[in-house]
Amino acid sequence: MPSRRRALLKVIILGDSGYVNKKFSNQYKATIGADFLTKEVQFEDRLFTLQIWDTAGQERFQSLGVAFYRGADCCVLVYDVNVMKSFDNLNNWREEFLIQASPSDPENFPFVVIGNKIDVDGGNSRVVSEKKARAWCASKGNIPYFETSAKEGTNVEDAFQVIAKNALKSGEEEEIYLPDTVDVASSSQQRSTGCEC
Amino acid sequence: MPSDSSSSSSSSSSDGDDRNPNSDPNPDPNPDSIDQSLDALESQLASISMSSRSPTATIDDEEVAEEEEEQSVEQLTIGNGPLNEEIRAEEATDSVEDEHIGNNSNLRAEASGVINTRPSSLCRNISEVDEVERPLSPSSSGYAGERGSTSGDDEIDDDDEDDNEIREVENDGVLESHAQWVSGKRHPDEDDASVSWRKRKKHFFILSHSGKPIYSRYGDEHKLAGFSATLQAIISFVENGGDRVKLVRAGKHQVVFLVKGPIYLVCISCTEEPYESLKGQLELLYGQMILILTKSVNRCFEKNPKFDMTSLLGGTDVVFSSLIHSFSWNPATFLHAYSCLPLAYATRQAAGAILQDVAGSGVLFALLMCKHKVISLVGAQKASLHPDDILLLSNFIMSSESFRTSESFSPICLPRYNPMAFLYAYVHYFDIDTYLVLLTTSSDAFYHLKDSRIRIETILLKSNVLSEVQRSLVDGGMHIGDLIIDPTSRAGAVSSHLGQPRPATGSPGRIMDGFAGIGGPAGLWHFIYRSIYLDQYVSSEFSSPINSLRQQKRLYRAYQKLYTSMHDKRIGPHKTQFRRDENYVLLCWVTQDFELYAAFDPLADKALAIKICNRVCQWVKDVENEIFLLGASPFSW
Repeated sequence: MPSRRRALLKVIILGDSGYVNKKFSNQYKATIGADFLTKEVQFEDRLFTLQIWDTAGQERFQSLGVAFYRGADCCVLVYDVNVMKSFDNLNNWREEFLIQASPSDPENFPFVVIGNKIDVDGGNSRVVSEKKARAWCASKGNIPYFETSAKEGTNVEDAFQVIAKNALKSGEEEEIYLPDTVDVASSSQQRSTGCEC
Repeated sequence: MPSDSSSSSSSSSSDGDDRNPNSDPNPDPNPDSIDQSLDALESQLASISMSSRSPTATIDDEEVAEEEEEQSVEQLTIGNGPLNEEIRAEEATDSVEDEHIGNNSNLRAEASGVINTRPSSLCRNISEVDEVERPLSPSSSGYAGERGSTSGDDEIDDDDEDDNEIREVENDGVLESHAQWVSGKRHPDEDDASVSWRKRKKHFFILSHSGKPIYSRYGDEHKLAGFSATLQAIISFVENGGDRVKLVRAGKHQVVFLVKGPIYLVCISCTEEPYESLKGQLELLYGQMILILTKSVNRCFEKNPKFDMTSLLGGTDVVFSSLIHSFSWNPATFLHAYSCLPLAYATRQAAGAILQDVAGSGVLFALLMCKHKVISLVGAQKASLHPDDILLLSNFIMSSESFRTSESFSPICLPRYNPMAFLYAYVHYFDIDTYLVLLTTSSDAFYHLKDSRIRIETILLKSNVLSEVQRSLVDGGMHIGDLIIDPTSRAGAVSSHLGQPRPATGSPGRIMDGFAGIGGPAGLWHFIYRSIYLDQYVSSEFSSPINSLRQQKRLYRAYQKLYTSMHDKRIGPHKTQFRRDENYVLLCWVTQDFELYAAFDPLADKALAIKICNRVCQWVKDVENEIFLLGASPFSW
C-alpha cells in the first residue's frame, strides 16, 4: 500500500562545471552554496520527485559540509568536456561526497556522471574523449555516464530516468515503525515539571 | 496613533513592531510576499558570508539573557546590530539595509497597484457581512471534523488571511472545495511559484535534516521540495559557522526556525505576532508530530538519513492544519492552560467520581471532554497531564474524522508525559461534542476499556451529566453582561451561578455609563482569567462588539502579544500592564495565583477599568466551583 506513493529523492549535483539548465535561476548559489529545483520523473509506474541541489560550477571551491550532503539519494558529478581539469577533479568530488555524506554502502552508492558542453565550438575544443570518461566511470563501479549540450540539455532526461531507476533498486526495503510503549512500572518515569514554558 | 502605555512596572518596549526599521506608518493591507522576504533573507545571508572572514562578524552571538536552553541565541538582523539594538540601527543603515528598504518600497508600490485595480470596498463589504451573519458561537471551535457547527470553510481558511483581500476574491468558495477539506490539505495545487502561495500570511513547514519536506500548511509537499531544500540549506549554512539561526526578519516577514534533532520546523509569517509566540506554535506543531509518532522517529534518521517521514504521517495533514487553525482561536495555545466546560459543581463531581472509579483499573488517564474543553479528568497514582498534552490530544481526536464514527483504540504519545513511547487511547464519542478518552499502557486493553466505557456511559446518563453538558454548551459560561459592578448587591446572587436565566439588560447595579448595550460595565468587552495553580483558564463568552470571528482572532492576537510581553524575561516579569491603542484598552494583571487579561472599549476610563478587573476576579472566585475543575489539578495528586 505505501509503496505506490510518490517517492522523493534528494539529488546532489557536484563538479567544477556549471550544470546548465534553464530552470536553474542561480538565486542562492553565491550565498548559500546551492540552487534548488524540483523535478518530477516517472519511471515505470512510479512517480518520483527529484529534489535537486545544484552546487556545481562555483568559482571557488568550498566544502558544503555534512549538512548539505546529508540524506542524499543520488550524486551527479558534472565535468566540462572542454576542460581537462574539471574531469581530473571528478575523483576529488566523488571522494568529498563519500566522506561528507558517509553513505551506509559507499561502494554501491548511486552516482551519475555528466559530460557537459559537448556542443561548444562544434565539439572542436573538446579535450576529454567519451571513451576516456566511460573508462573512468567503469573503474568506479560502472557509474552511468551521459553527455549533454549546454544549450539543449540533451540526455538530461535520460540521466534523471537512471537516477529514479537506481533509487528504486536501492531503497526498496522499509522497516516497520515500532516505537516503545510507556512502561509505568519502571521507576525512571519522567515527570513533567508543571512549570509553564 | 493614540498610544498610551503606562503601568506600574512595565513599559511597552517589548512591542515587536517598533523594532522594525521598515515599519510603515501607513499600514499596508498587502503583505510582502514570501519571495521578497527570501530575497531579503538572501541579502542578509550574503552579508554574513561577505563579512565572515573579517574580524567584525555580522552574526551576533549575543546571548540574549533570558534563554535558559542550550541553544546559542542568535539573531540575524537587517543591520549589524543585535535585535534589541535594531531601533538604533535605523540611523546606522548600511548598504544591505538600504537595498532591503528599496525592495520593500518596490513591493509596496506593486501591491497598492493591485489594490487600486479592484473594487475593494465591495469585496470588503461582502466578507464582513459574511462574518456577521455567522452565528455567534464562542464555543464553535472550527475543528475540521465538526461539520455541523461550521457554516462554511472560508473562515477556517481565512485564519491568517483576513487582510488579504486579493486572496478572498480569488478563492472564496471557488477554489476551496469540500474534497480538499476532507483531505485536510489546503490548496494542494500551489507551490512556491504560485502567486497565491506567496501571498499567504502564515506558512508552516516541517522538514527533515536532509531537507526532505514532511509537512507544509499550504501547497503540495513534493512540489515544494526545492523550497524545503532551501530552508535546510539556510539552517545548515548557519550551522556550518558554528551557530544557529532562530529568527530572520525580512520586511514584514518573520522567519522562525526551530531545530529538534533531525526535525526542522519553520514558520514564515507576516502576522506581526511576537517571535516567542511563533516559536511556541512551532513547539506545539512538533509536539503534535510527536503525539502521532513519538520521538522514536529520531532513530529512523540515525539509521538512515535518507528516511522519508511522510509515509508515517499519511493522512494526518488535517491534524496539523487544525492545530495551526487553533493558534488563532484557542487561547490554550499560548496560555499553556486548559479550560473546563462550565458545569454545576455536583455535575462535574459526578463525572469525576465515575472516572476515578475506572482509573484504578489499568487506566492511566481518563478524560471526559466536550470539544476542546474538559468536563473532568482523572489520573492514576502520581501521573500528571500537561495542559499542552490535553490540547494536542483533543486536537488529534477532534480533527480525525474516524474517531467520530466508531469507538477507537489508537496508539498516541503524550509529548510532555513521555515523548519516547506510546500509550493507547480508547476514544468514544457519546454525542457529537462529548467524548471519552481512556489512556492505557496496555496494547490489549480494548475490551476492558470498552466495558469501562459502558459503565461510565450508564452513570453519565443516569446522573444527567450528558444533558447538562449540552445545556452548558447552549448557555453556559461567563457573560460579561452579568458582571455586577456593585458588590453590595451580590446578595441577590445574580451571577453566583452560571447558566441561570440571566436578567434583562439594565438590571440594577450595572453602571449605565454610555457603554451600555456594548459589552459589560465600564466598557468591558472580554476577559481571560488563568489560574496558575490549577493550570486552567476561563474566558468570558464573546458578545457585542467582539462579534465576528475576525474580531475574536484580533483580540486573541492582542492577548497573545500581551502575554508575551508580560512574560518577557528580558524586561519582566511584570505585575500589571495597561495599554491603550485604537482597538482596545488592554489590562493585564499577574499575581502569584492568577493572570487576568481584560479588554475594554478604547475609550474606557483607567480607574474604572481597574475597578472592573477587581470585580471580575471576585466574580471568578464566586463561581470557581463551576468554571474550574477543583481538587483534581493534574499536578497535585
